[in-house]
Amino acid sequence: MAGAAQPLSFTLTVPFPSCLEAQIAHDTLAPDAEPRRGGITKQLSVNRNILHVQWQADEARILRVSVSSFLDLLSLTVQTMDRFGPPLDSNL
Amino acid sequence: MTVVIGFEGSANKIGVGIMRDGTVLANPRRTYITPPGQGFQPSDTARHHRACVLDVLQEALQEAQITPQDIDCVAYTKGPGMGAPLLTVAIVARTVAQLWKKPLLGVNHCIGHIEMGRLITGAQNPTVLYVSGGNTQVIAYSEHRYQIFGETIDIAVGNCLDRFARVLKISNDPSPGYNIEQMAKKGKKFVELPYTVKGMDASFSGILSYIEEAAHKMLLSGNCTPEDLCFSLQETLFSMLVEITERAMAHCGSQEVLIVGGVGCNVRLQEMMAIMCKERGARLFATDERFCIDNGAMIAQAGWEMFRSGQTTPLEQSWITQRYRTDEVEVTWRD
Repeated sequence: MAGAAQPLSFTLTVPFPSCLEAQIAHDTLAPDAEPRRGGITKQLSVNRNILHVQWQADEARILRVSVSSFLDLLSLTVQTMDRFGPPLDSNL
Repeated sequence: MTVVIGFEGSANKIGVGIMRDGTVLANPRRTYITPPGQGFQPSDTARHHRACVLDVLQEALQEAQITPQDIDCVAYTKGPGMGAPLLTVAIVARTVAQLWKKPLLGVNHCIGHIEMGRLITGAQNPTVLYVSGGNTQVIAYSEHRYQIFGETIDIAVGNCLDRFARVLKISNDPSPGYNIEQMAKKGKKFVELPYTVKGMDASFSGILSYIEEAAHKMLLSGNCTPEDLCFSLQETLFSMLVEITERAMAHCGSQEVLIVGGVGCNVRLQEMMAIMCKERGARLFATDERFCIDNGAMIAQAGWEMFRSGQTTPLEQSWITQRYRTDEVEVTWRD
């Protein structure tokens, strides 16, 4: 709730077929920050083949919008990897 | 040889273009068309782009007959534009750049229009009129910047036309501006509208409010036809654009005009500009709808110039931005 001492939080864990694909998803989704003074923060990290996303927000409404649009973009980067992957070998 | 792929999706068009040293290898595009009376909203437009961006990408690669290995750089529109559609397209560009191990390059949308216009028309150092649904600027190159000499002080000229089309429920297919242009050809009576030029700047919102308020009354009373209104609005808006362009030309001592942006494919605007150019002994350059209207090749072309001059965008700096002025970009590829 607004003004509550404890913010709302949401955690998302997404496994990928490989560490490289998890890293690609992370680097694709990380550059765009949440709006400043938006009452929300989002942190992305990668552990091996797992993408972790952690949100903290003041209001459920703001959290819902951010998570929902993130899921759309996550789905798009996964679809792009499916159609235009697998990642090229850097030694080529 | 340098091959650059460009992704554009800052408004209701989604395009992927591939350029190789000044040659357009492919430039497919889709347009999100809304019903008459309705504009395009950011989230619906982003949904449209998400649904077809990968098909358009595949089409571009097939048409160009190249493989991802042949590409040297992945360019995408960094801004300005609508946030959600911009982000959708940037996500795909970032993903393929990593899959294919290619450098990424964020391009200013306005610079894309200018560079594509210069390439297609061969204009050397023109005064540029950039007119579209989101932008209205008079630009000239100086000291490694595209300097903005004049611009709208409120809404874009194309936004004024689009919203007028909604008032009359004119079809958005293929675009409201195209349909206004066709109706205007049948207009006979000139209805006087406000004319608002301030130096090298122009204002369009007052004209829109005026015509929104007056249109139905005038039509109901039989004073004029929808065609007369289309004609009168075009004549008024385009006169203003010609006036501010001429003032910038006089200021810069320029003898070339280049019209770019979606409104730039309007033949009546080109005719009016040509009359002014003739009187001044200047040359007019314009392109057709393939390159005037937002497309991927223009982002690839600006990307080509930027990449060849040594620019790339690190992934962590590849965020999109809804506001991104033309004169923020250092033009490293021109003398």
